[in-house]
Amino acid sequence: MVNSINRRSRLVFKAGLLIIVGLPMSTQVQADGSAVDKVYHPYVDALESEIEFRSLFQDGPSAPNDFKQLHQFSFGRSFGQALFAEAKVVGEKSRSGNFDIEAFEFELKWQQTEQGEYSADWGMLFEYEQEFSEDVQELTAGILVEKEFGRWSGTANLLLIQEWGADIKDELETAVALQARYRYTRAFEPALEIYAGQDSVGIGPAVMGSAIVGTRKSLHWEAGVILGVSSDSPDSTVRFLLEYEF
Amino acid sequence: MKDISLAIRNILGLLLLSLSIGTVFAATPEIELIIKDHLFFPATLEIPAGQKVRIRIINQDPTPEEFESFELNREKLVVGNGQTVVFIGPLQPGEYPFFGEFYPKTAQGMVIVK
Repeated sequence: MVNSINRRSRLVFKAGLLIIVGLPMSTQVQADGSAVDKVYHPYVDALESEIEFRSLFQDGPSAPNDFKQLHQFSFGRSFGQALFAEAKVVGEKSRSGNFDIEAFEFELKWQQTEQGEYSADWGMLFEYEQEFSEDVQELTAGILVEKEFGRWSGTANLLLIQEWGADIKDELETAVALQARYRYTRAFEPALEIYAGQDSVGIGPAVMGSAIVGTRKSLHWEAGVILGVSSDSPDSTVRFLLEYEF
Repeated sequence: MKDISLAIRNILGLLLLSLSIGTVFAATPEIELIIKDHLFFPATLEIPAGQKVRIRIINQDPTPEEFESFELNREKLVVGNGQTVVFIGPLQPGEYPFFGEFYPKTAQGMVIVK
């Protein structure tokens, strides 16, 4: 039985990799952004709400329409044991100037397996994004997988992204985010992260942690510096995340 | 439009592939952990090293509680007068504390791996 589960897990993982690796070869896509975001874990905590603030700061050469700063503010809550929904507002400061509220996003995370039950833990992510000032929409679906190795946790996000609208060329993109995290203490967990998208590949260190601030209230924080490793990637992207869970 | 239909097919494929792994049951030793009067019974759980274990948490209090342990890397809510399961291991020998996030001063316990 366990072997059967392992075979299924390997099959799903290989299928996901095949989709992620194979699609860029079969689609003609344009460069339009950084792949750095955050690494999602495939878990949902029941009866939990959260307020999150996330920022990215890009530096170095990249496409002219790329953002220089991106800030996201979101509110989310869980529904039952396996679903977590989140609504976000996204603002950008471009290289040419002003800070503008650019888009809203709706995100749904779906925990698929009980943590620790199988050889790896699985979840799914769905996201819809609509820009305010332009006719641009984006739909993302992805697989989230995590596996423990003692005090280490390895996480992979395999994402499939469809963009469409009058102000953008319809295109199908893929993105991958990987994280190796060492659970040193609750307040301090060092990690190494890799982000790869259509036109950028980056790798760099990150740190994260949590602090309990009350009865079932906690603060979670993340920070990382992702260095571009391809000519089209930003030289560096600094990311911050602060989350209040209650 | 061709890209969109391809995307929808791929998204459905991902969904079906991911759902398929949730339908198989694994045989794992089970132990019970009772929550009563905001205390864990037993407060100490002994499990063998290198063995995956399912802990069935039965909350006999009318209020919710959350099993939490950074050392075990687990966090799981159990509703009042309800139950849930948490899978732990395989673990190295050692002591792994856990607590109840709603009543952390009284709801405390330890997993001892031998």
